Amino acid sequence: MPPLISRTKTRFSSPQLPQRKGRTNSYKFSYFKPPCMGSNAQWANPPSFWKKVIGLDDLLQDFYKEQSKNIEKESKRRTSRKCYNSDDDDDTVQKNKEASLSRCFRECEKTMQDVSNEDEFPLWGLPVFGNQKATPPLVFSELGRCKLLESFMNSKENSFLELSAEKEETLLQRLLINGWISKLVFVSGDVEAFIAIWAFNLMLYSSSEELRSSACDFWCSILPSKNEVDPPSIRIDWFPSAAELKKALEIYGYVLDSSIDISSLSDMAHGDSGSKGPPQNIRYWIKFLLACFRIRGTGSIFSTSEAQEFLCIIICLFLDRRLQGLSLLLYDCMQSIISFFEDKDWKSSCEKTAEALAYRMPKDLNCLRIVECISGVDTRSKHLRSEISFQILINCFDPKVKDMEEILKLLLSINVKDKSCDLFKMYVYLVLTENWLFSDKLVEDKPVILEMWGVYLRNCSCQITSTDLRSYASKVRNRASYLLQSTMHRRDYD
Amino acid sequence: MENSRRSNRGIEENTLAIFDSSGVKDARDVNDDRLAFLEAVRASSIVPQIGTAPTSKMLNAIFQILKDGTSLELIMASYQLLIELEKRFPRVYLSKFDIPKSSSGATVELIVINEAWSPFALGSESAYSERNLANRSSDELLDSLGFSLLLQGIAQLYNEMNLQVLDTKSLGNMLLFQFLVNVLEGDFLPRNTIYNETKNWVFLRESLLSMLLGSRRISYKSLIKDCLSIISERCRKDLENSSIKTVDNSDAAALGIALAELERGTCIAVQKLLVLIMELDKSKKQADMQGSTSRSDGSRIPLMEVILDELTYDEDLLSSFLQVFCDPKWRLEIILQYFSKYLTKPSVRTRKSNNSSDDATFHGVLKCFSNVTSAKSIVKKMSIEIAQLLLANGFNAFISLQEAGGISVLQICKDIVSAFHNLRIIDDIDRQLCTRTRAIRHGRTILYFHCGKHTKSFHFC
Repeated sequence: MPPLISRTKTRFSSPQLPQRKGRTNSYKFSYFKPPCMGSNAQWANPPSFWKKVIGLDDLLQDFYKEQSKNIEKESKRRTSRKCYNSDDDDDTVQKNKEASLSRCFRECEKTMQDVSNEDEFPLWGLPVFGNQKATPPLVFSELGRCKLLESFMNSKENSFLELSAEKEETLLQRLLINGWISKLVFVSGDVEAFIAIWAFNLMLYSSSEELRSSACDFWCSILPSKNEVDPPSIRIDWFPSAAELKKALEIYGYVLDSSIDISSLSDMAHGDSGSKGPPQNIRYWIKFLLACFRIRGTGSIFSTSEAQEFLCIIICLFLDRRLQGLSLLLYDCMQSIISFFEDKDWKSSCEKTAEALAYRMPKDLNCLRIVECISGVDTRSKHLRSEISFQILINCFDPKVKDMEEILKLLLSINVKDKSCDLFKMYVYLVLTENWLFSDKLVEDKPVILEMWGVYLRNCSCQITSTDLRSYASKVRNRASYLLQSTMHRRDYD
Repeated sequence: MENSRRSNRGIEENTLAIFDSSGVKDARDVNDDRLAFLEAVRASSIVPQIGTAPTSKMLNAIFQILKDGTSLELIMASYQLLIELEKRFPRVYLSKFDIPKSSSGATVELIVINEAWSPFALGSESAYSERNLANRSSDELLDSLGFSLLLQGIAQLYNEMNLQVLDTKSLGNMLLFQFLVNVLEGDFLPRNTIYNETKNWVFLRESLLSMLLGSRRISYKSLIKDCLSIISERCRKDLENSSIKTVDNSDAAALGIALAELERGTCIAVQKLLVLIMELDKSKKQADMQGSTSRSDGSRIPLMEVILDELTYDEDLLSSFLQVFCDPKWRLEIILQYFSKYLTKPSVRTRKSNNSSDDATFHGVLKCFSNVTSAKSIVKKMSIEIAQLLLANGFNAFISLQEAGGISVLQICKDIVSAFHNLRIIDDIDRQLCTRTRAIRHGRTILYFHCGKHTKSFHFC
């Protein structure tokens, strides 16, 4: 096993060296014989084959750990022996050998060092939220004038109820938390602007979890959902505008508005800026948006272009590592927006969104993250996934190229054997191309494309050797061989 | 068929090769590989128009990722994938087909795919041991004990008020629990539908939920206690003020936001579980009466009784439970059952003929409060605060259900106003109790709007 030997050498020369994936990983697909080299039948080896390798590996590790302790001692002894035998002719050869060996080791060590420095590619993630701005004051002086309260105040039992003006807001808050306000508005059939604005502001800016979640529940219950057969006929006197929602996002510290160059953000590391990220209200912001986009057709709150903008924003929110816990929510919201579009608008909206995103996205792991955050459960999200991959891909090369074959030709022209070839970029292209071609039904009836894709995969999997030390070499190779298998299987299956 | 099975195996071997992390020591590389594995499963099962169902080994691997809970990204991704796969390839579902000669037109049939993967390893039936042999991983799946321990762990997490150290593992457990409840629900609902049509108890006896609860290895009561404590703890917590301590800052922000969201989800999942159990109890009672259950079904105490027992001794628990538990149908039912313990004279109950409590309605309860003397006699047995709390919450639930018909909302509004009026006469010491005044106001306002709609010349009281 050549890889095993090379590992041994590396370890021997420098026991303290951190283990590099470039080498170790080469085992994982060792039974992935690239099809151009062998028959298909061989590619699944029994696990016992590599249990053996691993067993050996562990033994070696223990052995060299022990060895490393004695290394200094040994070398001393060796030098002393050299001095003793320095006159001997045979030893000159020995010495030369040793010198060349140690030179070799040194080179090896240096290469490993380079690789390890190079290999530290940053994780995906952009600090989409910077410092929070001051929240607007939550004072509602005119609340007392709403009909809901007047019904209490003007009744002759007011003395019995002991209502006073100061308690109005507290009363309303208690009503909100206990879910009474939505019941009351359903009975009256009317949501007054006062109440709507008040609840909207509580939802977005209140620091009390109880209040903001109740306010959000209230809004979600009064907004009609398309699933209801007989939507409750409530008149809502006030709806927030898209600008108001975007303003809230800015107050939370959202920095990605169209004027900012995203790539400048990727240099900023998370946590360095000292910002805490968005407040918890962001969850309700997303939930509210989700509910708003359920309203389609004539009653919809937002226009098609606003929907495109919000779709972009939601996809960008996936990039903030601090929002990882909200990915399910973000994903539901994205689905809601995607199904909001009319059929006739969808194609152009999808393209526009993809273009806007692709143009601004840094071409690194972040663009893979946004492609992979689109789930592909339905036709439209498959389309979006494919479209975004395509747009990013052509932005990597030349935005003027719109032809499928052209793109693949460009990909094929890259020589992976070339030392200067950036395999990290190659990895990004590979994943993007896969998603572009296979998320949607693009390759159907296009044997030429499928053929080119196959050649591209073979280039990546066969021309990069398992001992290639460049960073991302093993990733590109593994991914390509995996895809090669599944693509070939797909074709056989069809 | 043979072809597709072989291709499945091909996919399985390929994807599992990505998952395999032997030989990779770096934590980040392991995580990267696992993400790549999840993405590969998605690409082969969900994204294609005709996706291939992942094999048991693959599902086990995804489940394992969720259970390991090594990073936030991994638990979110594996949970989402599992839920989507459940939806795409359900284990149990109803299939409608038309019978031309039948009068009803369409008949529903229950389809159960027995060989499909399940996160549970329950019961001692031969089917399970066979499956376990095939999977050779019974310890990786959850049995009833594992489920109850999981819930216990989450309840403990909720009880430690300030959540000093939060890790992804405990967040992973919350998601794991939500997934398991989702599986139980997906298994139970179609079975219950078919049971209601055919009255064939076997469908429900074989449900995961029934087998889980019937297990002798768990303490059913402590399971329910854990559920109740999760529900009641939720409303006491203010997340913004609790300081979450983690290894580094950006993690804390991510975990803090995730925690708030996952807690809410867990609380909803617990409520869902309780509702499922109560539905199961309801069907079981029917089956009991028809004599279709047997000794082997065991004699579990109905959940309603356990809940009532717990709530009766703890006023705090009662109020927080009622505030959080949001299913109006069962909330009203719990309140009515609570009242029925005090309103009707405890009759001798037998398991097979327990019909008396079913007749209780909210209107009936309000009648007992319609004059001061009878209200007084109830309040003597239960404290006035509890009576008010129950009435206010019952009223709320009733309004949510008002399409149910029967007695008019107007009548109920009048009754609730007079009930609170009477309670007020009884209790003129504590005027500030907010629950009471709140409920009176609601009653009045709703009355007001109704009056505006129906009778213009209506006057209060």
